[in-house]
Amino acid sequence: MADSYLLLNADTVLAGVRAGDPGAFERLYRAFEAPAFNLARRMCRTTADAEDVLQEAFYEVHRSLAHYRGDGSLWGWVRTITASKALMRLRRNKYRDTDELTDDLHPGRHEDAGLRMDLETALQRLSDTARSVVWLHDVEGYTHEEIAEMMGKTTSFSKSQLARAHVKLRAWLGEEEKI
Amino acid sequence: MTMHCTLEQLVALRDSGAVTEPGHAEARDHLATCEACRAEADRLEQRVARLKALPVLVPSRDRYPEIAASLVHERRVRRVRWAGVGGLATAAAIVGLLFVKDMFSPAPVEGSQQLAQVMAESRVLEGELARLNPDGRAMDLVTAQVAGQLQTRIAAIDERLQSAELPATQRPTDDQLIELWRERVGLMDALVDVHLTGASQVGL
Repeated sequence: MADSYLLLNADTVLAGVRAGDPGAFERLYRAFEAPAFNLARRMCRTTADAEDVLQEAFYEVHRSLAHYRGDGSLWGWVRTITASKALMRLRRNKYRDTDELTDDLHPGRHEDAGLRMDLETALQRLSDTARSVVWLHDVEGYTHEEIAEMMGKTTSFSKSQLARAHVKLRAWLGEEEKI
Repeated sequence: MTMHCTLEQLVALRDSGAVTEPGHAEARDHLATCEACRAEADRLEQRVARLKALPVLVPSRDRYPEIAASLVHERRVRRVRWAGVGGLATAAAIVGLLFVKDMFSPAPVEGSQQLAQVMAESRVLEGELARLNPDGRAMDLVTAQVAGQLQTRIAAIDERLQSAELPATQRPTDDQLIELWRERVGLMDALVDVHLTGASQVGL
């Protein structure tokens, strides 16, 4: 995910940031800006929220860099900070889980209408929590244990959110097949 | 009647293939023999692959200038705090001396009371600012710039307050000290307003 410059010069860049070199921090930001924003945007409902999350995440990266021990990849560390900030934002906003409401009120509506959404639309239609679990697990590769820890929930919660989300995605994408 | 795998079981089996939940062993065995369930598992795999293939979204505008401005502001705040701590300690010592002097004076000195009062106001505003925790919040570029300007002016006043350590002939008079503290209170007040409402809304 990181650009090749940062991969090759991670130690130099980190030393520069720690020494207060603004150019070094900008290089770090530029290297991770796109994947961090993409993660935030996939988790948040609006672009504005995702941009705020990006900004908050990089403040945190700057503030916490002294504590980064280099155990895992730098991108992995930045990614977890970004995901945590996005989850905090979701909790703060407390968006209504629109899919939960509409599905409970109108079960089977999508199939009846013969509506097929594209994947982007279907993903956006999921609740914030479900969408975040899907993205963190299926795309970013976090385990249910890691997701549960970030969300302050149980592993079972994460598993159940993922399964339920796939049931909905399957229906909304028109992939259901009676078996 | 054949019991097919649930999507939850397919998701769990895809995860690691490990049988960790009751019923998953049966589900795995069933999957090996049931064409319909294998097709469902394939669709699940394809859906995940399509999720991974979604385009990378990019910010609508470059956020780095705001981040950089806030980091500069944060560094300045840290410097000002350290300078402020020194300045406040010195000023507090002066006020203490003035009070001690008052104890031996025949009549109360109104200036020292004014000074104590305006310093107390400044402390209240410092507390208010700390409560707002501006360092821990994202702010827009204009707010960061205005806050930075106010911090710079406050730092300049703190430096002048520190000159109270100079020889008596070069020290500000009591009236000048009061004036400096009042100016500091005014700037602190504006700074609190900026963090409370954002620069654009306080007419700065």
